[in-house]
Amino acid sequence: MPVLKAHRSLDSNELSLKQLLFHSSDFKFTDFMCGDRSYRLYYLTTMVEFNAVQEFIIGPLLRETDVSVRQAVSILDYSETNLLTEAAEALVQGKTVIQISGEAKFYLLGTILTKERSLNIPVNERVLRGSSQALIENLDTSLNLLRKKISSPDLVIKSFQVGRRSNTKVAVLYMDSLVNKEVLKEFTRRIDSLDIDYIEFPGFVSELVVDKKFSLFPRMLVTERPDRIRSNLMDGKIAILSEGSPDSLILPVSFWAFFQSPDDYQIGWLFGSAIRILRIICFILAISLPGFYVALVTFDPRIVPYEIVLTLQSSMQYISLPPLLEAILMLLILEIVREATVRLPSPIGQTIGVVGGIVIGTVVVQSNLISNMMVIVVALTGVASFIIPSYEMSNAARILTYPFILVAYILGLVGLELCFLFVLTHLARLNTMGIPYFYSGMTSNTIKDTVLRAPIKLLKKRPKESMAQENIRMKNPRWGR
Amino acid sequence: MIHLEKISLNQLICLVVLTQVGVGVLSIPYNESYHSGFDSWISMLTGGIFAQTVILIIYQLGKRFEDRPLPQYISSITGKWVGAFLNFIFAAYFLESSLMVVVSYSDVLSRWVLFETPWSVLIFFSFAIAAYIASSGLRTIGSITQVIMVMFMVCLAIITISGIGKGDMRHFLPIGSHGPLSILKDSFPAFWSYAGYELLLFAFPFVQAQKKKDIFLAMSFANGFTTFFYVFVSVIVTYNFSEYQLKSVTEPLVFILRKFNWPILQSVDILFMTIWLSVTTVTVYVYLFLSARYLAYVKFKPITHHSFLVWMLALIGFVVGLWGYDRQVLLQFSNYHNKATIIVITILPTLLLLVALARGKGAER
Repeated sequence: MPVLKAHRSLDSNELSLKQLLFHSSDFKFTDFMCGDRSYRLYYLTTMVEFNAVQEFIIGPLLRETDVSVRQAVSILDYSETNLLTEAAEALVQGKTVIQISGEAKFYLLGTILTKERSLNIPVNERVLRGSSQALIENLDTSLNLLRKKISSPDLVIKSFQVGRRSNTKVAVLYMDSLVNKEVLKEFTRRIDSLDIDYIEFPGFVSELVVDKKFSLFPRMLVTERPDRIRSNLMDGKIAILSEGSPDSLILPVSFWAFFQSPDDYQIGWLFGSAIRILRIICFILAISLPGFYVALVTFDPRIVPYEIVLTLQSSMQYISLPPLLEAILMLLILEIVREATVRLPSPIGQTIGVVGGIVIGTVVVQSNLISNMMVIVVALTGVASFIIPSYEMSNAARILTYPFILVAYILGLVGLELCFLFVLTHLARLNTMGIPYFYSGMTSNTIKDTVLRAPIKLLKKRPKESMAQENIRMKNPRWGR
Repeated sequence: MIHLEKISLNQLICLVVLTQVGVGVLSIPYNESYHSGFDSWISMLTGGIFAQTVILIIYQLGKRFEDRPLPQYISSITGKWVGAFLNFIFAAYFLESSLMVVVSYSDVLSRWVLFETPWSVLIFFSFAIAAYIASSGLRTIGSITQVIMVMFMVCLAIITISGIGKGDMRHFLPIGSHGPLSILKDSFPAFWSYAGYELLLFAFPFVQAQKKKDIFLAMSFANGFTTFFYVFVSVIVTYNFSEYQLKSVTEPLVFILRKFNWPILQSVDILFMTIWLSVTTVTVYVYLFLSARYLAYVKFKPITHHSFLVWMLALIGFVVGLWGYDRQVLLQFSNYHNKATIIVITILPTLLLLVALARGKGAER
């Protein structure tokens, strides 16, 4: 856009602004006189708050005749410019633009109309104990929630405009004394170099900023909970929020972060650890249980004792499909029911539960299409994948199930083992800006907050996955001695 | 970008232990009991002590050139051409070692677990997964190995629970009655099964340790653990089988696992051999990795395409491995392998250390 200077005349300015905004229909102006001054007020009807304009701009200006605009209006967001282009941009952002006849100058006054929904409880990440605030689409409100949770000047908010055409506001948050500067620099470089029409947050950013393009596993944590963001910021990580999205992204995270939930830290460490272990077991079940079952019935029924083999056999007696097809068919039914439930409005959603779960489940067995045992296995797989606190990670598990079944059908338990090694290697090779995505959760240093949730007084150090500048989290584990 | 190269001491221990432990454990102490019979566990112990001596030699060598791995500093000890040749010997030996492990474990799998799977498929998958792992960096390999350590522990638990059942303590008596000479004779085959510590020749500069001595302690701990494991297995086997039976059972551990019935598991041996596959895979990928790293320095200007080298070596291994189907070939091959082991990982480092000492290369700066 070429830089255009303001004219002295009101009419030629109006014409130029109209051209700059391409004669958009919501561009309006109004004139009023006060004393010997004549004002012209430009605004977008769709973007300004009329009450504010009337009460704090027009009102005072009509009353006070001989003071400057700055002194008259009671608006905090005030600036002046003599550029037409800047005035046009201000109009788009929801500001009211005033010109006094004879001055080649615009007064830009913030009167943006914000329509926001009220704060809500988190829908996708429910917890039993802990705060029930969730971020909302309005960036300022979300930032306000976070500032309230961390009232320290150490919390830095850096704004970016991403999207060549949409100019979406993106805010990057971090604790200045904790964050790893290398990671921050690299991340800033990447987000600065994004050249794209518009962004859909968080999907676009998480795909465009990560290192290695192809992976099933999520490399960034998506969350809508301010308390989760806080705990991650305190580990020296970076949080990204965007205007128009109630989600935020957190990086760099490790594989284990996807198995942590805020209420692990609220319910005591013994139960917290038990739940952690349960989640990890369920993750393994979700990816390998159907494969394990297929391997067992096709390759190695020798492993199971005779009595159990009899049970298996009696359930499979009249089934004509091979276990591979049986498993894939049943899993597909599960996926269909699951997707249908997500899309349908909730009153009808329950019908799907009845039709999908009870009718299909029962009839499929009664008609000897799929064995009893397989229905149990698939149902367990489905439920196990729901336990993983992150939707993205649970999706990864959903997809991984299929190759596991296939290889298990070819190579039995050995194939399953190979699949696990493959996934393990894939995980270990991933990194976020050079920070490893996966590390063993079983060494004495790392076990405290990965596989287990150790008592808080033992969590004296930050997890090494964020490579924070300062590692000590707690200095006096007991109440001062 | 952050680049992490170093491995932790914990990772070093896991790498060394799991490289040492491999296919051999199924046949322990069959090869070690030719002369020493039921005293084979003493032979295993002596073998571990031999290995410890070699570790000391390798450590001394590594300490003199603490900022570079062996393939880089080898030419400064021996000169350019000999160095390149020795690098090639090392590369060939490591490739051969990984081939040996793949072939012998595929042989085990095809006899006990996957009867009908074609030989080529087994070899293919073993090499494919190992090459995929070996084509990553040392640190990545380290963290993968740490996870596999958990599987090893599961195996150890299975052996312990199944082994301490019906047996006879009198199988051990009278201790040492075969005489020191025959025990010593059998500690050579035992010593071969400890191979794996030669990883330190390469890994020394990449270990993150506050003191160099910690590396030696970690290595000794790893070797000590392996020794404990081997002795433990031979004790369990001797506890279960008499000397007469030992002579005729080539894979005693499998039988011990098979005869023990758990309430929910009919034959533990299949499960064990499946899980054990991951442990042998460690040996395969560590050797493939080392082979590629040594091969990279065969030319005077190092070859930088590590993953390409790994995949090429794996391809060669796969093609050669297709012949391993014949068990006769396998046995001859293993005979040759044992000799190569003695030369490459014991005599060569010793010679290198002596030459370095004589010519005053490295350290003392």
